[in-house]
Amino acid sequence: MTDLAFLAFAFVTVIAAILAIEARDLVYGAVSLGVSFLGVAGLFILLDASYVAAFQISVYIGAVVVLILFTVMLVGPAKGDGPMEFKKASLFGAVLISLMLGMAGTLAATTSFPGREVCGSGCDLQLLSTTLLVDYGIQLELLALVLAAAVIGALTLAKAEKKE
Amino acid sequence: MEPLTSYFAVSAILLGIGIYGLATRRSAIRILFAVELVYNAANLNIIAFSRLRDPPIVTGQVLVLFSIALAAMEAAVGLAIIILAFRINAEIDLRKLTRLKG
Repeated sequence: MTDLAFLAFAFVTVIAAILAIEARDLVYGAVSLGVSFLGVAGLFILLDASYVAAFQISVYIGAVVVLILFTVMLVGPAKGDGPMEFKKASLFGAVLISLMLGMAGTLAATTSFPGREVCGSGCDLQLLSTTLLVDYGIQLELLALVLAAAVIGALTLAKAEKKE
Repeated sequence: MEPLTSYFAVSAILLGIGIYGLATRRSAIRILFAVELVYNAANLNIIAFSRLRDPPIVTGQVLVLFSIALAAMEAAVGLAIIILAFRINAEIDLRKLTRLKG
C-alpha cells in the first residue's frame, strides 16, 4: 500500500519535473512545476512530515507557482524559449547528468541504510512546534526579518524604473 | 515498506533534472524553475535523512521549514529582477543579457 503510493508520488514528481524543464510553453511548464511540488509534498507525507507537506503546498503551490504564472503572463509566453541552438551542449549536459546520477545511485545502493523507523518523535506535532518556537525562536524571528526585507527589496526593484 | 534509499534516489533524480535545466536552458524563468527543483531535491533529502536517526529527530523538519521560506523569498526577488530586466531590455534570454560583461 505504502509502496504503491510511493511509486505513484515518485513517478508524478519526476515526470512533472521533466515536463517543467522541457515543455515548449512556459505556462504548461509552470503548471507541471506545481504538479511536481505536489508530488514532493506527497513524499513528505509518506515520510511522516505532514506539517512540512502542508507548508510546502501552501507556500509553493499557493504562492510561488502563482507568482511565476503571473510573471509569465506579464512577460509574455512568446518570450519564454527561443529555438534551441545548443543541441550539442544539451546532449553533453544530459550525458554528464546521467553519469553523475549513476555515480550517486551506485553509492546509495552500496551503502546500507536502515529501513524507516515506525513513526516516533518524528511526527509529534507538539515536539515540532516546541522545537520551532522555543529552541529556534531567534532564528524564526530573523527569518521573518529577512522575509520582510526581501519583499520590500522586490517591491523597490519592480518600481525602480519610475524615476527615469 | 520501501527503504530510505528510494527517497534518496528520487531526490538525486530531481537534482539531476534541475542541474540539467540550469545548464541548458536560456530563458530566465525556465532557469528559475530549475533552481526551485534543486531546492525541492535538497528538502526531500533533508527530510529523508532526518528519518535515519532512531528515534527520528524533528530538527530536520525545522530546517526544511526555514528552507522553504527562503526559497519563496528567492523566487520573489528573482521574479522582480526578471520583470525589471524585461522592462529595460525587452529580453529575458540570459545569453543575450551581457551588458555587465564589459
